[in-house]
Amino acid sequence: MTETKTQESEKTREQLVSAVSAEVIIEFIQVNKWYGDFHVLKDIALAVHKGERIVVCGPSGSGKSTLIRCINNLEEHHSGSIVVDGITLNRNLKNIDHIRTEVGMVFQNFNLFPHLTILENLTLGPIWTRKLPKADAHDLAMKYLERVKIPEQADKFPGQLSGGQQQRVAIARSLCMNPKIMLFDEPTSALDPEMIKEVLEVMIELADTGMTMIVVTHEMGFAQTVADRVILMDEGQIVEENEPGEFFNNPQHERTRLFLSQIL
Amino acid sequence: MATIKTVATPAIAPPLSETSVLGWMRKNLFSSAFNTLLTFFTVYIIYISVKGLWVWGIADAVWVAENRRECFAINTDGACWAGIIAWLDNIFYGRYPREELWRINLGLFFLLMWMVPLWLPRVKAKISIGMTTVFLYPFLGGYLFAGSEKGIFMQIMLTTAIVCLLANTIHSIIGVFSGRSLPEFLSSLSGRKKVSDTTQRNIFLGLLALSFVVIYVWQMSWNLERVPWTKWGGLFLTLVIAGIGIASALPGGIILALGRRSRMPVIRVLSTAFIELFRSVPIITVLFMATTMFPLFMPQGFVLNKLVQVIIAVCLFNAAYMAETVRGGLQTIPKGQFEGAHTIGLGYWQTMGLIVMPQALKHMIPNIVGNFISLLKDTTLVSIIGLFDVLGMLRSISKDLPWLGLHKEPLVFGAILFFLICFTMSKYSRHLEAKLSTDHHN
Repeated sequence: MTETKTQESEKTREQLVSAVSAEVIIEFIQVNKWYGDFHVLKDIALAVHKGERIVVCGPSGSGKSTLIRCINNLEEHHSGSIVVDGITLNRNLKNIDHIRTEVGMVFQNFNLFPHLTILENLTLGPIWTRKLPKADAHDLAMKYLERVKIPEQADKFPGQLSGGQQQRVAIARSLCMNPKIMLFDEPTSALDPEMIKEVLEVMIELADTGMTMIVVTHEMGFAQTVADRVILMDEGQIVEENEPGEFFNNPQHERTRLFLSQIL
Repeated sequence: MATIKTVATPAIAPPLSETSVLGWMRKNLFSSAFNTLLTFFTVYIIYISVKGLWVWGIADAVWVAENRRECFAINTDGACWAGIIAWLDNIFYGRYPREELWRINLGLFFLLMWMVPLWLPRVKAKISIGMTTVFLYPFLGGYLFAGSEKGIFMQIMLTTAIVCLLANTIHSIIGVFSGRSLPEFLSSLSGRKKVSDTTQRNIFLGLLALSFVVIYVWQMSWNLERVPWTKWGGLFLTLVIAGIGIASALPGGIILALGRRSRMPVIRVLSTAFIELFRSVPIITVLFMATTMFPLFMPQGFVLNKLVQVIIAVCLFNAAYMAETVRGGLQTIPKGQFEGAHTIGLGYWQTMGLIVMPQALKHMIPNIVGNFISLLKDTTLVSIIGLFDVLGMLRSISKDLPWLGLHKEPLVFGAILFFLICFTMSKYSRHLEAKLSTDHHN
């Protein structure tokens, strides 16, 4: 029974992999960024295709979080250009507003709003930025809460939930905005080991729907099962970029070998 | 060697000191000879002071007398409360014409009527009730207290205020009994089961407009005699100044605090300069400046009365203080909250209004109420520039011929009065904190 199910999902995944379109949805062109004197992103060039799942890993301070935070303008890049969904990120606030509603993001510390119930956390975006009527927003929120398997927690406050549940709520909150791209910034790093699995399961299911995902994580198991491409960053550069089989079994760069030997 | 627990340890009753009064006393009051001694000594000190107060203030006090001489004739050791009782009206209302006192009482009653729904649990739409209180009550209260001819603007605002008060009150009564809002109740009267939001709103607005017209026509016949501000005084004046100060300090403070954190340099510098200027000057200086220098900056022939100047000064001063409190509260909000709001597409004002302020204000409640309490006490300084607030009234008792030299009792009475008001505020703030707490970190 389970076997047929895995086979099935395997099959759909294969179909989806082939469904990764040629259309480029995010493009970094020679992007540079500094924190004061510190050169955090060095000449980054990267193209992400629609429907592609990318895992970014690397030691802390290597710029991987900064890289994905540039995509929805939480951080501003200083030179080069970033094109998201056909729109160039610049100081034009209208462009930024548009991109923010197309790009969902999940944080290490969840960043749920502690003064609102789970349901209110989820409906806030649809009501205020998508201008949905309350009843529709409510239905949408319940749909996604069911998808992350915690509809019974809808009326609780974030502080009453476990870390894993909070992170699943955060994922549902982003999905309520119906984004084209989902960014994950170390989504499981603040969780107890027992809770990592439930969050990863939700992320795998999301990957199966064909969502474009960029995930910064140290969960190499996740990278192996889900990713189309794995990227290793070090000292602000993309050191190695390859499909997971090659990346883990036949790393090309010395730095990648060192990194893998330390975490596996 | 492996340790395995096969039998669960049963729970046993807690020690006596955790459950009974006697056990608690033995643990906390009489745990050693020295502590026992300390306990008795403290109880003795409390006994002497309470006894002294009791004898002076109640046992030996004189409650009924014509003048101070009579007080002395009855008992020289006790307080002469008769003087306070004779002056009660003055203490509360100042020199407001006695036959017009109903206006103040009615005004206060309306204020209570307006605000009580905020404390009732089942009433909906509390934010709009609160907002209408702050923005519309001043017109209703102002007209009642000051009277005189009404201009067209005043007539419109007055009518709006009355319509709002009526709607609020009916809404709250319905809310308490049925848990529904007024628009919902109105549309349910029509008999249909499901009414869309727009029709619901249209019925409600239609009724509001109708009552506006009726009340507008009705209020044209009202004619209240003018009471000049020089006649205002006592606790009434204190509450007017402090009330306006409190109602304006928080919004003013929020705007200044946001200005100080703004990315726009001009706004930031202006806000910072304003805050620092007002914070580094004593309020008494601000009051003197307001009454003596402010008129110099005004165009020729433009005369504001002293009370308005004082109120403006109090508002500006307290907005500056409140701004720093609010800024402190804003800094307790982690950056992640802004980022979370950013990723679901909320703009600056939405982020501030929906995410940041509700959390920050909750953290700030103790400080905000602290500010309000000191604002209330600071208003007593207006007696120095010639307004007869409650303290001014209390001090003039000793200059009144029958009660010449009666200093102690008025001040004690004033202390009790202020304590009651301030303690209520502080208790209420504790209650708010407990009620609004949604952090469930245990």
